[in-house]
Amino acid sequence: MSDLDRQIEQLKKCEPLKESEVKALCLKAMEILVEESNVQRVDAPVTICGDIHGQFYDMKELFKVGGDCPKTNYLFLGDFVDRGFYSVETFLLLLALKVRYPDRITLIRGNHESRQITQVYGFYDECLRKYGSVNVWRYCTDIFDYLSLSALIENRIFSVHGGLSPAISTLDQIRTIDRKQEVPHDGAMCDLLWSDPEDIVDGWGLSPRGAGFLFGGSVVTSFNHSNNIDYICRAHQLVMEGYKWMFNNQIVTVWSAPNYCYRCGNVAAILELDENLNKRFRVFEAAPQESRGTPAKKPAPDYFL
Amino acid sequence: MAVEVDEKDLKAAGAELLSDSDRRGLRIHGWEIFSLKGSILNSSTRLQWEEKLQTSHLPEMVFGDSSLVLKHESSGTKIYFNAFDALAGWKQEALPPVEVPAAAKWKFRSKPSQQVILDYDYTFTTPYCGSETIEAGSNKNGSGNISETSSSICWEDCDEQIDVVSLASKEPILFYDEVVLYEDELADNGVSLLTVKVRVMPSCWFLLLRFWLRVDGVLMRLRDTRMHCAFGDGTNPVILRESCWREATFQSISAKGYPSDLAEYSDPSIISERLPVITHKTLKLVFHGNL
Repeated sequence: MSDLDRQIEQLKKCEPLKESEVKALCLKAMEILVEESNVQRVDAPVTICGDIHGQFYDMKELFKVGGDCPKTNYLFLGDFVDRGFYSVETFLLLLALKVRYPDRITLIRGNHESRQITQVYGFYDECLRKYGSVNVWRYCTDIFDYLSLSALIENRIFSVHGGLSPAISTLDQIRTIDRKQEVPHDGAMCDLLWSDPEDIVDGWGLSPRGAGFLFGGSVVTSFNHSNNIDYICRAHQLVMEGYKWMFNNQIVTVWSAPNYCYRCGNVAAILELDENLNKRFRVFEAAPQESRGTPAKKPAPDYFL
Repeated sequence: MAVEVDEKDLKAAGAELLSDSDRRGLRIHGWEIFSLKGSILNSSTRLQWEEKLQTSHLPEMVFGDSSLVLKHESSGTKIYFNAFDALAGWKQEALPPVEVPAAAKWKFRSKPSQQVILDYDYTFTTPYCGSETIEAGSNKNGSGNISETSSSICWEDCDEQIDVVSLASKEPILFYDEVVLYEDELADNGVSLLTVKVRVMPSCWFLLLRFWLRVDGVLMRLRDTRMHCAFGDGTNPVILRESCWREATFQSISAKGYPSDLAEYSDPSIISERLPVITHKTLKLVFHGNL
């Protein structure tokens, strides 16, 4: 058994790698990812997965439902880390699978694959807690810069973490972005990872936060038409039912973190496409308590004032 | 998940745990106190709520079936906390939106034609202090007739204060729970969270309803409502409600020499003292027509 296979077995048990192993793994991953396009081509059949957010044991449920990699070809739409308890193990397992089976798993970048966001929402603290230093966080965030920004399945389904950008009307415009950087606060790359479809606008909308685009049905219609695609598949937003179509089946949100943050009670979904691009949503629930490493914490009575 | 409670403590206090499967709580000194917990709203219920509240936006996570209820049997008083009433308060207060730091840069972006700028309060700030009612039919006189249609309750100003000293004593906690009513991640620009926690001791119950908002790099807002009731013999319970609103911008925080590093501001109970008080008042629940 090669070192890599052994590491994958170890990660499947939710045991993190040594710091030196993470460093070596990231170097190998970088060589693969640097060759990928900003609009990475993906062949069908493929199974598309949305946000995971460090919910390692729920990702194992996902693989139980969808089948193991490399037998199943996977496309993950980003947001591997933050919020959940096991961002380190979750991301490293996906990355190790990428290095071992580069043609059978595609990882694209979510807005949480960023230095700034991971410092606020959990991944940074988790690395520090599990390794006693921030080196692993540095290796991982350096790799984030190499992740592709989108995928194109059989030239017919466009996949991205967040959504569209007013600066982008063709896929070729995405191909020209220099992606090897921290996610910027504005511009096309930012929009692809951050924007949301919105029912109440038709064209473009601006979030009340003053930053962040919202796009309506007519934007999607014209994007799909000019790029000759059937529909857009994206993640980024929690959906209680695991997936949600909008704008007459022109865009679908796929969410793959069941019982999000261990309290929402939502189901998760993955989208299976067969060789003819026939769709099948597979809905699944959170891993049962007894299959998780640690017992559920009881809330300790607290003499709050 | 149940918290272990000492059976002996319960018995000594004359309390009994509720045995139903969906409610967690207890009966003590004529009170029934319990929590209900459910999942976030599904898509169809969300739509119904949006219609009822006349909004097209709700927090990402609305725990619509979760609540905390405190019922006083002899007076029929019911105090309860739920997401719907809190969101009705948000809709009514309708604060103007808070711009995130990146907004300054965005102003210089070329605007797509016919761009719509949404302007609802995405922070879901609410003035909600809880809901209360007198339950018809719960106040029975000797003959079993219902005789309190004329009674009502309201909160009135008072000079009393919640007795914090007695609350600091480590009486055994017979029942404790925390219920999340709604939560939003502000699209990864911070947190908006409304929760209520309760503890019931042999001599009293005490609860804290907390709205906590952090817009990263911009401001923090804390709206706390505390309620306290010492168990007594009277028909009508004595309940005090204290509201304390605090708010500060990150700019003012760093001007005072406090760190403005976001990691410092994840737990409101630790940093609340750093936030200046905006309003503070104590009210008392007053009963009319039911003496």
